[in-house]
Amino acid sequence: MNIVVLVKMVPDTESRLEIVDGKVNESGFKYMVNPYDEFAVEQAVQFKEAGGGKVTLVALFSNETSIDTDLRKMMAIGADEAIVLRQEDYRGDRPSSNAKVLSNAIKEINADLIIGGVQGIDYYQGATGPMVAHMLGIPHISGVTNLELNGDKFTAKRQIEGGLQVIECSSPVLITCQKDMTKVRFPALKDIMMSKRKPFENREVSVDESNDVQTDECSLPPARAGGMIIEGDSAEEKVTKLIEKLKTEAKVL
Amino acid sequence: MDPFHEYYGIPWYAILGLWSFIAIGLHVYQVGFIVKLIRLGKDDDRFNSWKQRMKEFLTDWLGQRKVVEDKLAGYAHALIFWGFLMLVSDVIDLGTGGLFVKLLEEIHLANIWNLIVDIGYTMAGIGILFALYRRLIVRPEKLKGASMEGILILFAILGIVLTSFIVEAGYMIGEDDMNNWEPIGVLFAKQMEGIDSTTLGLIIDASYWIHMILIGGFLIEIPQTKHSHLIGTIPNVMFQDHDAMGTMNPMQMDENDVAVKTDDLDFDNLTLGVNKFEDFTWRQLSDGWACTACARCQDVCPAYNSGKNLNPMQIIMDVKNYGKEHGSLLLAGEEPPETMVERFTPDAIWACTTCYACVDACPVHIEHVPKLTDARRHLVMEASDFPEELQNLFNNLERNSNPWGMGAHTRADWAEGLDLKIGEPAEYLFYVGCAGSFDDRNKKVSRATAKLLKEAGVDFSILGEMEMCNGDPARRAGNEFLFQMMAEMNVENMNSLGTLKVITACPHCFHTIGKEYEKYGGKYEVYHHSQVLNDLRQKGKLEINKFEDKVTFHDPCYLGRIGGETEAPREALGGDLIEMERHGEKSFCCGGGGARVWMEEDADKRVNEIRAKEAAKTDADCVAVGCPFCMTMMSDGLKEIGDGKPVKDISEIMLENLNKEEA
Repeated sequence: MNIVVLVKMVPDTESRLEIVDGKVNESGFKYMVNPYDEFAVEQAVQFKEAGGGKVTLVALFSNETSIDTDLRKMMAIGADEAIVLRQEDYRGDRPSSNAKVLSNAIKEINADLIIGGVQGIDYYQGATGPMVAHMLGIPHISGVTNLELNGDKFTAKRQIEGGLQVIECSSPVLITCQKDMTKVRFPALKDIMMSKRKPFENREVSVDESNDVQTDECSLPPARAGGMIIEGDSAEEKVTKLIEKLKTEAKVL
Repeated sequence: MDPFHEYYGIPWYAILGLWSFIAIGLHVYQVGFIVKLIRLGKDDDRFNSWKQRMKEFLTDWLGQRKVVEDKLAGYAHALIFWGFLMLVSDVIDLGTGGLFVKLLEEIHLANIWNLIVDIGYTMAGIGILFALYRRLIVRPEKLKGASMEGILILFAILGIVLTSFIVEAGYMIGEDDMNNWEPIGVLFAKQMEGIDSTTLGLIIDASYWIHMILIGGFLIEIPQTKHSHLIGTIPNVMFQDHDAMGTMNPMQMDENDVAVKTDDLDFDNLTLGVNKFEDFTWRQLSDGWACTACARCQDVCPAYNSGKNLNPMQIIMDVKNYGKEHGSLLLAGEEPPETMVERFTPDAIWACTTCYACVDACPVHIEHVPKLTDARRHLVMEASDFPEELQNLFNNLERNSNPWGMGAHTRADWAEGLDLKIGEPAEYLFYVGCAGSFDDRNKKVSRATAKLLKEAGVDFSILGEMEMCNGDPARRAGNEFLFQMMAEMNVENMNSLGTLKVITACPHCFHTIGKEYEKYGGKYEVYHHSQVLNDLRQKGKLEINKFEDKVTFHDPCYLGRIGGETEAPREALGGDLIEMERHGEKSFCCGGGGARVWMEEDADKRVNEIRAKEAAKTDADCVAVGCPFCMTMMSDGLKEIGDGKPVKDISEIMLENLNKEEA
């Protein structure tokens, strides 16, 4: 089976987050593979190990930052090759134009399965996957918690409010993975080293800016005020003070 | 009267010759088999520093330096050992029908030789009686469940001793003069006088043959049981480790004894860690046959004593038994059905805190810990099969260079408002370490240390965001590659500042940077903060009042036993300390070493509770520590057993007692 995994690079969750003029200041960010996409890589490799085929990673990212180490680790898990679409002024919050660039690149691969995370942990838009499916004219199942393959038929399970939805679909299809869809393995060092010999292509692409959403402004949640310790000699006194404060300061009573 | 005559028409020497041929033949055959097995191991060039090795051999092997640390068993053993060295030539004399002593008479050494042999048998006899007393009457806890083998052998060698005296006495009976150079022989002879000559002859003949049968039997038995230590300890003690305790070996070394850079590692021809018998070095394998099952390692092991599936002695037994059971397959170059790592079991491999108490306790220089850390290397880098918690640890170290995965840019936040030099050249580099940078409790220790250093006017800088984890957690957890990447980057950063002297409040940084970075191009003088603070105190640069609390100090393994520093922290504290029963180099681990602090531990098998109980038993008001992980483990342990003693770092106690007026 020919599988394409969509991999997004997102800022490390522990990176320093600063907003300058309503925009996220990305200088000094460290990047990592979007954790939801790691489930997709693992799932794809499991299908390949069970039934043969090839797993190709496709990522769209800025042409300034190196991501070799991160993608090599995904290849150490078992992906066979990587295509990185390098873009000047890449932004992670333009799902429509990013999907267009991605689907143009994927088209020629003729994948039986395109799989990626349900959303990026940078902007949580969850739109790129379904848009790629739409542009390629194939069906998609999003937010899948369990995926099985029998012959060429996929059985996907989705958690919905108060229940479970089971969907069947034959290839080609695009799947986006929900958290904990599968357990991602830790590659052995030999596999990491061997992954250096796998094909890794950097391809320059341009930005398609026609008709996409624009992020207007970003802001940080207000800093939490510190707690308050109510002093008093007896429990009664403290309770009295607390009730007073709830009435006058917090105004909840 | 002597036993050297014909038996049913066959001369004694013919019978003895046949028996010797069988016994010696079987002995040599078995020893040869073992030698071939050990030679399957990889190279480990320890054939150097011969002068030092000879000295160590004389003190440790001949002098029984570490054996006698356990008084009863140790001195009993030493008596038997020295006794046998003195008497061993007697077997030549008995085997040649007295020709040997005649030869000695020619050169006037017979008398003195007789005396030495007599004393030897006597010493051995006394030693055996002590050992039997210990095994049959004292019966220490660890001997319960031990096989009968030990007792049987003691009786056998007691038999060797007693029969020799009888044969010796037999020579004298009927002679005009007793040989006073054999005083114990004379005693036996006097007891035997008056027995009729036929009976006497029978007794002497029987004694002689029992003596010879036992010796021959012993020769056959030696290679099969723990008595292989009679031979195995010789290479073990002679080729003991000359690297500082606790230093691990790089994956690959170049010809200049420097680690091959991570980028240049030859992965096609590199075995990562050990899995198979022949992955070990010959010296690691020889440990198996040097072990006497004295169980001293078992007594001091925190994992074993907290009920985990690790017994360091069993690990060593496993090496030997595996070799014995699969020896023919191994020598034929075939794969046995199980690997060494499977034999050890992953549970045992992951239970080790790398505290080195076992290695320190072993009288014959067996190296338990490297076997386990090498097995971890295999499990992590080759098999990718390890406790799940460690996956987080590795990811966190890779991404943010600290075990908790906190943002690397917040590393220097603890120093806010202290006005420290950050990333500037200075006389000392204060290497804070991850716990001191990210853990709230230990940040206070970093602040206390920095304040004291400033107070004393020490010129120092911190690395700030440039600092990374020293790599100890990755290394002890088997991710040697990650460790080496971190070591290489740290060395590059530290060298770029021209660092020569390093201060750290973490014994793991102290050990790794001080003793392990050299092979990665980083050569620094590394001090534990207690050493520097003590020095400042002694020179009067820090005026510290004597503390009033009663304090007990818990020695961190990587400072005390492994680091060899037990004085500075005590002198830095400066008051009257209450010592726990196990302290200094014999201190008991808090349970946090060997990356264990990041692994799950069953609630009923916690090492820190054992140690907390020991601290609670003292009537100290406060437990002093010198390690961030001891801080965490001891605080948690005391809380768990319901003891309210606060746990404080040395620097915090010093700062509390700083003479402010002077400053």
